[in-house]
Amino acid sequence: MTATTTARSPADLLSGVWGGLALTSGVALTATSGWLIVRASERPVILTLLTAIVAVRAFGMARPFFRHLERLRSHDTALADLATARTSVYAALIPLTPARLGRRSRSAVLTGVVDDLTDVVEAHVRVRVPVLSVIVATTFTALLTAALVPAAGAVVVGWVLSVIVIAAVGLRLERSSQPLLGAARAEVSRVAELVGRHTGELRAIGAEGDVVRDLDRAQRDLGTALRRQSRGRALVSGGVLALTGLATLAMASIAVGADISAGVAALLVVVPAALADALLPLADASRARARSEQSGSRVTALLDQDPALRATGTGTLATAAPHLRLEGVTAGWVDDRIDVGPVDLDLPPGRRLAIVGANGSGKSTLLAVLARALDPRSGRYLVDGRDVRTLDLDAVRDLLAIVDDEPHIFAADLRANLAVAQPDATDVDLVRALRVAGLGDWFDALPSGLETRLGSGGRGVSGGERARLSLARAVVSDRPVVLLDEPVAHLDHPTAAKVMRDVREATAGRTVVLVSHRPEGLDDVDDVLDLTPIHKD
Amino acid sequence: MKPFDPRLLREVPATRAPIGLLAVAAAAQGAAAIALAFALARLVTDVVAQGNWERSALWALGAFVLRGVLGMFVDRMGAHTATAVSSALRRRVLSRWIEAPAEARPDAEEATTLAVQGAEAVEPYAARFLPALVAGVVVPVLAVGALVVVDPLSALIVVVTLPLLPLFAALIGRTTEDDTMGRWRALEQLAGHFGDVMRGLPTLVTYGRARRQVEVVRAVSDRHRMATMRTLRLAFLSSAALELLATISVAIVAVTVGLRLTHGSISLEVGLLAILLAPEAYWPIRRVGAEFHAAADGATAIDRLLAPTSCPAGTSRRAYGPNDDVPAGQEVEVVGVEYAYPGTETKVLDGVSLVATGPGLTVVTGPSGVGKTTLLDVIAGLRTPSNPPRISQVHYVTQRPFLPDGTLESALRLGAPTGRTTSDVWDALRRIGLWEFVAGLPDGLGTRIGDDGFGLSAGQRTRVALARALLSDAPVLLLDEPTAHLDGDAARTVVDVLRELAAKRRIIAVTHSPDLVAVSDEHVHLAPTFAELSS
Repeated sequence: MTATTTARSPADLLSGVWGGLALTSGVALTATSGWLIVRASERPVILTLLTAIVAVRAFGMARPFFRHLERLRSHDTALADLATARTSVYAALIPLTPARLGRRSRSAVLTGVVDDLTDVVEAHVRVRVPVLSVIVATTFTALLTAALVPAAGAVVVGWVLSVIVIAAVGLRLERSSQPLLGAARAEVSRVAELVGRHTGELRAIGAEGDVVRDLDRAQRDLGTALRRQSRGRALVSGGVLALTGLATLAMASIAVGADISAGVAALLVVVPAALADALLPLADASRARARSEQSGSRVTALLDQDPALRATGTGTLATAAPHLRLEGVTAGWVDDRIDVGPVDLDLPPGRRLAIVGANGSGKSTLLAVLARALDPRSGRYLVDGRDVRTLDLDAVRDLLAIVDDEPHIFAADLRANLAVAQPDATDVDLVRALRVAGLGDWFDALPSGLETRLGSGGRGVSGGERARLSLARAVVSDRPVVLLDEPVAHLDHPTAAKVMRDVREATAGRTVVLVSHRPEGLDDVDDVLDLTPIHKD
Repeated sequence: MKPFDPRLLREVPATRAPIGLLAVAAAAQGAAAIALAFALARLVTDVVAQGNWERSALWALGAFVLRGVLGMFVDRMGAHTATAVSSALRRRVLSRWIEAPAEARPDAEEATTLAVQGAEAVEPYAARFLPALVAGVVVPVLAVGALVVVDPLSALIVVVTLPLLPLFAALIGRTTEDDTMGRWRALEQLAGHFGDVMRGLPTLVTYGRARRQVEVVRAVSDRHRMATMRTLRLAFLSSAALELLATISVAIVAVTVGLRLTHGSISLEVGLLAILLAPEAYWPIRRVGAEFHAAADGATAIDRLLAPTSCPAGTSRRAYGPNDDVPAGQEVEVVGVEYAYPGTETKVLDGVSLVATGPGLTVVTGPSGVGKTTLLDVIAGLRTPSNPPRISQVHYVTQRPFLPDGTLESALRLGAPTGRTTSDVWDALRRIGLWEFVAGLPDGLGTRIGDDGFGLSAGQRTRVALARALLSDAPVLLLDEPTAHLDGDAARTVVDVLRELAAKRRIIAVTHSPDLVAVSDEHVHLAPTFAELSS
């Protein structure tokens, strides 16, 4: 993991001090009030109580004041760290994109990183600052009580140490429940997505009952995992209170036996109850800690991968119509596995090729090699006769436009969504691309034209429109090679057929490689490469 | 956005018992806090008087333990309620989704997000906010009630100052409302930016725009930080003001208690009780506010999950699907059916009829694009035409049969009655000619198929789906091009099996295969409509 997300900022220390002073003020407020009430009941001259009255007032106002400082400080620190962590993680992800983000649902992986980073950084506010505050408040309380009666100080220390032991056990319980909880949540999402995306197919074979049963089972497991997780927090919150009861008992016995004034005796008896309010947040802290550890290790595991491209050179290309060739290329996503090949392929400019084959036959792997997302394991990938490993990565990628099955629509206006592919494009270019991609009627119906906001918070975009927008980007980019990776995978048959017709129009004259496991669009290519291995059928 | 929407209990009965129990537990926990105040006051009085302190110390210990045990119970019960409520809502929205006709379903993406993340956001709402809400109502009432009995003057002070808390909160809220709303919108956009460019990272990398985005991420994150801090500063300030207000109110109680103590007009125990009970009236209310901030997402999600648009009413199956009125036979009656895809005018099916009674094999032929697949979709109840057909329970093998990620066996058992044994599964594979192939796999029926698993060829997929059809007990089988991806031998096996099946079930197969047409009992040929011919 990058150093930034785990760095202990000195600013946490200051927040901890403010938080500690707030908790200390709370303890002092209760203690002085207890003393004051008992002293008052002895009916002294009011003037003798003045100092204590002023102190009570001061502590009463100090508590919200310091708490306010602590909150401002800790949240500001956390947000600053979040900004740094986001920036560095984003930069670290670029060389890992797309090959190391998993083969499917990359957007889910990336969304997961966003949430995980928030968890990791929130540990400042939810774990470190509360723990530091508790240390400050406990130290003060132990010193105060020890100064009054040494044995009372020992009780505070012993009690807080037992609370720490309980919190550690709670943390272990929380930690051990995390993997189970993660798996249960993933299973619930999987079944829910299955229902959402394959409703028709499931109903066609009368399997609705089966998936609803699966959902019930997954949710039962999630319930079990959550109940199991709650043991940690319950133990800490219950344990702190029970131990406080024992500490109060011990304090009462010391107060009765010691040679102290009635006011001090009252002070000692109420101190544990006051400090308990400061210790109870440790229950939440242990949960937040376990969560941030889990999230942190997920981010680390993702970022610790080696980029899929090891060899890149500096050679440049001066071509508007490259000739692509694969010679005996094999490739795989993980080190010890070959997912495809050896494959020989000749793609002169303007050639249209479809790659078909069963799931797992390596269609997408081969496309990733062509897209320069993955190095060939053996063999050579030549662009105009030169090995891509000697060429500048961006120079090769600038030749290739990619249309995949998960095109992202940015929360921005239509113009920005298209210009991402070609910042210099004029509005005329953009509109022409939309028409070529079959979005002419859709565009004409937009109330604000290119200024229409899309993406989250903007205008909704259907699956077919999404695929076509991705196609329009490829057109705008004006790149000579278009690589299509299952562009219509999530669309129904009539829409898929129409989109593929538009693909043909939109990519006329360019080199096209289409990966698909569906029949649409296969009838108008020059070549079909079937990667299905020969099983003994 | 309401703190608690009674529709939840009304419309989702499964949530009633856990929420009720959690509320009782939270109320009991609040009562224990009041009991603890009594025990502590008694203990301090006894310690000061050097009286029988051991007994009151044990009472105090008992009160602490009781509060602790109830706290544990509320935590555990909270976790249980969280899953009970979120699971019930998720199940409700998904089963309504399944039952709704294809044309009435909302966007799949949106529905899935709502069912997954939306329902998850309900968890902290149920686990944390609901107990806080109950405590926020119960504890102040109990505290004031106890004060009325113990020390009416203190009770009066609390009753007068307590309403200042919500009043003050509302005032702060009012003066900052417009400002805050504007800020929240800006904030939401800034907060969403990172997620947006993260999900778009592959696109940005493709077009060489990712590295430039790093600086944008930094700039937007910094702006997000500053905007958030502006909002938080206000929120924290008002929360500090409320805390100060509560402290001052308790201080007023303490001053009157102190004065009366020095005059000797009340006893020490009463004085102690008053200053221990008074704070119990204030903090639960502030906690409700604090927890609501964290649970607001859950409250919004509940609102959306209960909204009628996310749960289209279950008119579905009865209206057109496998019809309960039809005895479990093999009847299919489609008469003059018309269908156009949603949002289009052109009729894919225009007056098509297909009637079949009892077992037998019906083949449907016709040129590409004539609507053969749409006809099967209509018979399967996946599409709703203007005049819904009468049909029995069907099992539909589509052109690209759906095989979920998982083991081969789980894919084969999908939709099959629960009584089917493993030997039934092998038997079905044997009949369809896949026995040898599956038996030859290292993991046999346990072989994982799907995205990251074993690759099946199109022909193998079709035959797995046909084996699955054999395992189902549906009286009507719909098959879309069952022999399209098969070589000669395999195709002959399939034709033989279908012929055999036709003795007991009604089979309707869309096909181009003359072999299958040759052995059919009925033959429906769909001719292109005028509109299709002219286009």
